[in-house]
Amino acid sequence: MKFNFFHLMPYPYLPDDFDERYSSMSLNYPNRYFDPGIGRELYHRYLDQLEWAEELGFDGLAVNEHHQTSYGLMPAPNIMAAALARRTSRAQIMVLGNAIPVRDNPLQVAEEIAMLDHLTDGRLVSGFVRGIGWEYFAHSVNPTRSSERFEEAHDLIIKAWTTDEPFAYVTRNYEYRYVSIWPRPLQQPHPPIVMAGGGTPETTRWAAKHRHLYMAVIAPTPSIKRWFDNYRRVAAEDGWEPGPDRFGWVTPCYVGETDRKAIDEAREPIEWYFNKSLRQPPGAGLPPGYISLDAMRASLASGQVRGAGRGATTIEELIAGGFIVVGSPDTVSERIAELSETLGFEHLGVNLTVGSIAESQARENIEAFAKEVMPRFRSAAEQESAQQGGEGT
Amino acid sequence: MPNVVDTQVANRRDSRVAMPDGEILLQQGGSGPPLLFLHGGGAGTWGRLQDLLASSFDVLAPVHPAFGASDEMEGVEGMDDLVYHYLDLLDRLELGRVALVGSSFGGWLAAELAVHSPQRFSELVLISPVGLRIPEHPLRDIFLMTPDERVEILFRHPERLPAPDPTDTDAILTNYKNMMALARFGWSPFMNNPKLERRLYRVTARTLVVAPAEDRLVPRAHDERYASRIAGARLIVVDDAAHVAEMETPEAIAAPILEFLTGGAR
Repeated sequence: MKFNFFHLMPYPYLPDDFDERYSSMSLNYPNRYFDPGIGRELYHRYLDQLEWAEELGFDGLAVNEHHQTSYGLMPAPNIMAAALARRTSRAQIMVLGNAIPVRDNPLQVAEEIAMLDHLTDGRLVSGFVRGIGWEYFAHSVNPTRSSERFEEAHDLIIKAWTTDEPFAYVTRNYEYRYVSIWPRPLQQPHPPIVMAGGGTPETTRWAAKHRHLYMAVIAPTPSIKRWFDNYRRVAAEDGWEPGPDRFGWVTPCYVGETDRKAIDEAREPIEWYFNKSLRQPPGAGLPPGYISLDAMRASLASGQVRGAGRGATTIEELIAGGFIVVGSPDTVSERIAELSETLGFEHLGVNLTVGSIAESQARENIEAFAKEVMPRFRSAAEQESAQQGGEGT
Repeated sequence: MPNVVDTQVANRRDSRVAMPDGEILLQQGGSGPPLLFLHGGGAGTWGRLQDLLASSFDVLAPVHPAFGASDEMEGVEGMDDLVYHYLDLLDRLELGRVALVGSSFGGWLAAELAVHSPQRFSELVLISPVGLRIPEHPLRDIFLMTPDERVEILFRHPERLPAPDPTDTDAILTNYKNMMALARFGWSPFMNNPKLERRLYRVTARTLVVAPAEDRLVPRAHDERYASRIAGARLIVVDDAAHVAEMETPEAIAAPILEFLTGGAR
């Protein structure tokens, strides 16, 4: 099992009348509620946590891209990866990922990742995502082009990394007449690619076609299983069998002394995260064309309409649905082992600094996970090597 | 697509027309001089307004590429492609010069056509048209609304509409298809062509702009701007009508449109 410390970097301080006044903390939530002094403190707190996670033995540190939201303060994930690059020395730095269809110029993503690969001494993992519905409003990108922009931008980036002669790249959405990036990446032929996503059939299929690692985000266990099975089916059609190293799962996680204590302590931050921060701006959940008409038809036929608002939920329901892992070290370890077995994934992303969690509580959670859960999945030698490096950097 | 064919209308007929990128649905009816009707952001189904216009005209009410019962036609990517699509359609139907009526998104399209080929349009009627970029009078964002909000914004009397059936997957899919089509042409720039306004001087058709008094989607400044930039254009305000007057209050807008179309020298 590979353990990745996943951070969203939320801005967790909402006004008292948030629920009455705002339907969402994304897109149109006024940024007057961002206090610059608190913002500065949060960035340093969160980066400290990421650096500390390396010391504690996590295999990877994951950052990601979100725009115009209090849910996550990383509109430019490559900047966060750069901040970590020279302050860490062992863990992989996962950018999970760049929302390439939302960017005006994906060639710049190829350049930035290539730079980061050198700054991290080849520890960079390059994730790509489609971006969330509201981001197509925020950056005025036509969602009916989302899927093809994603694929064209991806192909451009890979080609820019792996071609050693200048080339032209002309597609429906992009026109580059001269591509010959400096630097080329350190890892050859290029940094590992991850696709992070929410199960859109076309994207799962696309990830399988390219044999990329697919990391599933928050969803009930049966949905994740369906996405992975979809990947495996496509792979089977192409005549190969993906191992667990092709699959990953990202989940909020909380480790307490006992199951009861864990649930009590995690209730507020977890319910904040699901009931407040994941609420989409009304109408923005599924912008037209983000999925194809066929995918929409399939989604309706399976009774799963995406983008529909989710009602308030409780931590008990979230645990039962498999959205989160919460409990004593025993419970959390057993649950991870069981899900890894059932779903067949090797990469785990854990969000231990979930929602509105307080700093001291976050630290306890990170430490408990690192010291009481991770070692159970490792041999003594693996645990020792995972804790080398990172310290004194 | 359910399509009730009104037998009261002479020559009412539907046909599929093959175009380079796929087929469209062409609805036709009535008798008289040819009138091309360009629908707004919905499915473009023949309705009461078309019936009324058909009393004096041979009404052609095609469904735009990618909308409603027409094919997705991916090659029709933008407003410029739509303009050529309709010029092709007129050629195919051997119609040299027609009266042109467009509502909302169709009003924008009608204005683009009248700018591109002014000689082919004898009259131009724009019903709460979008298409202009007026930063100080932005349109409401039709994409950033729940279905309930959309109905509230578009209709004068939303309470009179039948409640939507959340289990009607055909209706959900049709709506998704229409919103996808609208997004294809109007996401960015948002429902406008920044160059259109300065090209409106090219329009030579007799022009009427119809502004529903209760339009909550398109600010009146857009109707007024069209009327002021097109030489000789008239603007009328129709009381007790909202943005989708085409569907909701067809009688109220049909009367002044017919009066304008049949009253002037041709």
